[in-house]
Amino acid sequence: MYFLIAAEAAIFTIFVVAYIFYVGKSATGPQPAAVLHAPLFLTACLLSSSLTTHLAVRGLRSRNVRRFTWWWCGTVILGGIFVAGTAREWRHLVYQDGLTIQTNLFGTTYYSLVGLHAFHVIAGLLALAVVLVFAIRGDVRQEHSARTEVLSMYWHFVDAVWVVIFTVVYLIGR
Amino acid sequence: MNIGAFRSDPAMVTQTVEVPASTAWPIVLAFGIMLVVAGLVTSESVSALGGLLAVTGAVGWFRDVFPRERHELLTVSPEVPAVTTGRTTIDRTALAPDRHRIWLPVEIYPISAGLRGGLAGSVAMAMLAIIYGLVSQRSIWYPINLLAATFFPTAGPQAAGDLTRFYPSMFFLAAALHLSTSILVGLLYGAMLPMLPRRPILLGGLVAPIVWSGVVYSILGIVSPVLDSHIDWIWFVISQIGFGVVAGIIVSRRERIPTWQRLPFALRAGLEQSGMRDESHHGGEQ
Amino acid sequence: MSAARATVAVVRSERAPLVDTLHEWVTTVDHKRLGILYIIYALLFLAFGGIEAIIIRIQLIRPHNTFVSPQVFNRMFTMHGTTMIFFAAMPLVFGFANYLVPLMIGARDTAFPRLNAFSFWLTAFGGLLLYFSFLGGNGLYGAGNAPDVGWFAYAPLTSRTFSPGHSTDFWILALLLSGIGSMGTAINIAATVLCMRCPGMTLGKMPLLAWLNFTMAGLVILSMSPLTAAQLMLLVDRYLGGHFFDVQAGGSAVLWMHFFWIFGHPEVYVLAIPAFAFASEIIPVFSRKPIFGYPVMVAATLAIGFISMSVWAHHMFTVGMTSAGNTFFVLSTMAIAVPTGIKIFNWLATIWGGKVQYRTPMLFCVAFLFQFLIAGLTGIMLAAAPFDWQLSGSYFVVAHFHYVIVGGILFTIFGAFYYWFPKMSGRMYNEALGKVHFWLFTAGFHLTFDFMHVPGVLGMPRRIYTYEPGRGWDIWNLVITIGVLFQAVATLVFLGNLLWSKLWGKVAGSDPWDGWTLEWSTASPPPAYNFPSLPEVRSRRPLWDLKHPEDPDWHYE
Repeated sequence: MYFLIAAEAAIFTIFVVAYIFYVGKSATGPQPAAVLHAPLFLTACLLSSSLTTHLAVRGLRSRNVRRFTWWWCGTVILGGIFVAGTAREWRHLVYQDGLTIQTNLFGTTYYSLVGLHAFHVIAGLLALAVVLVFAIRGDVRQEHSARTEVLSMYWHFVDAVWVVIFTVVYLIGR
Repeated sequence: MNIGAFRSDPAMVTQTVEVPASTAWPIVLAFGIMLVVAGLVTSESVSALGGLLAVTGAVGWFRDVFPRERHELLTVSPEVPAVTTGRTTIDRTALAPDRHRIWLPVEIYPISAGLRGGLAGSVAMAMLAIIYGLVSQRSIWYPINLLAATFFPTAGPQAAGDLTRFYPSMFFLAAALHLSTSILVGLLYGAMLPMLPRRPILLGGLVAPIVWSGVVYSILGIVSPVLDSHIDWIWFVISQIGFGVVAGIIVSRRERIPTWQRLPFALRAGLEQSGMRDESHHGGEQ
Repeated sequence: MSAARATVAVVRSERAPLVDTLHEWVTTVDHKRLGILYIIYALLFLAFGGIEAIIIRIQLIRPHNTFVSPQVFNRMFTMHGTTMIFFAAMPLVFGFANYLVPLMIGARDTAFPRLNAFSFWLTAFGGLLLYFSFLGGNGLYGAGNAPDVGWFAYAPLTSRTFSPGHSTDFWILALLLSGIGSMGTAINIAATVLCMRCPGMTLGKMPLLAWLNFTMAGLVILSMSPLTAAQLMLLVDRYLGGHFFDVQAGGSAVLWMHFFWIFGHPEVYVLAIPAFAFASEIIPVFSRKPIFGYPVMVAATLAIGFISMSVWAHHMFTVGMTSAGNTFFVLSTMAIAVPTGIKIFNWLATIWGGKVQYRTPMLFCVAFLFQFLIAGLTGIMLAAAPFDWQLSGSYFVVAHFHYVIVGGILFTIFGAFYYWFPKMSGRMYNEALGKVHFWLFTAGFHLTFDFMHVPGVLGMPRRIYTYEPGRGWDIWNLVITIGVLFQAVATLVFLGNLLWSKLWGKVAGSDPWDGWTLEWSTASPPPAYNFPSLPEVRSRRPLWDLKHPEDPDWHYE
């Protein structure tokens, strides 16, 4: 899993580099400063979901399957809020601000970078949801804690990437 | 991480071995993913079919692994090939009294021997070069200017056109070049001399300089046209041989010291030869 | 019904029917079978790539030749490069790594056997998709069929404007698939080396092959992903109308070059390091001496892997970077020669004083030492930016990297084929045919690639369709093409030898070379479970210890 994360990190690095390289090089508007607003609530959701997975896995390790299920459920909900929020933000950008992937360089790099991340969030959510279904059916036991830990490691990675993207896109890039 | 781990405890060895069961799901998933992307260059229906296959493959794979991985039990064949060697045992030459594995070379010259050899060789070479300067151009500065001009063709004397006069800058350049190169070659010499077979002085003092001169002869026209147009090859070879012989004699007169083969790092980084045998005598362990 | 069943049973008792055998191979998760699948698949694509090379060379045999059309010529050099790197060389390397690493570290399989199968099939289907472009690319959209943008596909040649139709998409998608497959295999190899070693085998006692393949896996993980990311960007450009590499909207063509070569240069070492691994196993056994300077070899490998991540822009000196950038990449590129030189000296020191047996694998490795040295020297020449300004994009560069990939890498791969063929097939290859292969191939190699440097220095650019007579290039191109003929015949001898020996060769026994690493302790071919009981090792040469209990290695390490 560490190797997979290393590979994924390299992919994100390339996209982030491309984003930074193209900041301010768009030939036409809209420019990021005009349309982007830092999604603080969504960021808080995603980051706190990292905490909830951690607590869930700790619960499972101490044989507390109920606690695991609740925290895990919380993670899925928080992740879901994040995805929904991103979708709303995109909707706003596309229909209100007229920014699509074809509009300019900012659009291209923004949508592909955030989209790549959103894809990872969705993939992670699917996996989390599958585990949640198993947990509700009562199939998750303590011996699975290593596997859930791998999943939570992936989720932490996705969150960490969001910190980088947030910094680059919403703080520096504007 | 280590999901497919086998028990490595030797006590667990039995008549059967668990190996992961064969499964078709990976190929189904791979084919599905291929069709999904192939749809981009053909048509959507291909992608749809691919998506279907990929989902089937992923689910099938998942059911393979969860809740427990599927295994197959294989019967262990009772015949285990015997480990034998075709190596013949022969008398060993005792090179070091207490151990039959030694690190070649057994003895080397100290580093200071190489330094001294290089310095002495540099003096010998400089003398020969100055004699050459006196004989050919009646000037001791001529070879010095030539040497400096090899590496700094734009410096001074070409403009002046007179290579027989004294230029302080050229002199210091040449001296620095000559000394540093001589010391480096001397060090190399000191390190290599114990490894040269049979007659080290003959090889290092005569053969190596001649080979080296040949190499220089063939490439000098490209590397340094200035030097190439002025060089006298007979004297070049003579001065190289002078260096080689003098450095060789100085180095070989020093006491040899044993290599640090007993120190742990040398054990790991040193030349290692297992089982010294008669045939490998030509290796140079004199 | 019952009669049919009875026949099946009878046939099975003699020999499993073809369908069953096929089913077994297709569904296998055994690392040895997957390794062999990788190798056979790679040989197939080696043949494809070779045929493309022959077509290129026939076209260039004399001035104003019209053996193929310019369009086909472009497709040929693109497909030749792409095929050889991604679908011949890498699968060969992965195949051997898959087969050998678990055996050499005393494991029963890789860490993720199913992922292993998945990665192989993804790579295989990627190759099929690429070659499907010959058939499917044309019929559907009418604009070109196979990719023709060069193997590094510089922007803006890959934009919709200059590359209509789907030929470039085939290239992107095939590489995307095989790239994901490569990453899976690399993750698998790295995890296997870290988690699956047998009792007693510390990292410091691992065979060099395992160490080197571990480094290779790390490089694949770090270098394949930038390529994947760049391919995704190109897809966004081509399908969604993005502007990553669209110069008119402020995008940058140079960014593609950077991204491609961040992958492209480590890729050379992804191929070269396993080649070093083969040399590091074959040379000691045929010199009857342990490898010289094991820790230094490991350190040099890691250093090569590390430095190779910071040299990519030496492919781009002619782009016009800043002088600081040029200087950095000149120095880092030259620095990589130091650990490589250390390795060459260590191999020489291993041979030195040994009782050398010139069997076919050793012959290939000795030739590798010479040729890789020359390839390294022309590499140093090209690393100097001013020299590169003169010769970049010429046949000199083509000669240089073929010297690396054929003279260095392919030679050791041939050596590895002969060395491990008895283990994989259980049969001995034909030594005489092996020697014929070696001498024919070496002669052909030198005819082709030694003389290819000359027209490069005389100014012949790479990828030209044809040329004017009387520029001093004619005779060299003729000689180069004649050399290709030798290599083709030699490769046929090689394939024939493999087939013949597999069917009718002498039975090899478990340990034909009197080897020292764990793979020689089990039967040839090894059973599916590799080792009946997991071996316990105490030194880097466990079989030496078993064979010479009176003089084991662990007294000395």
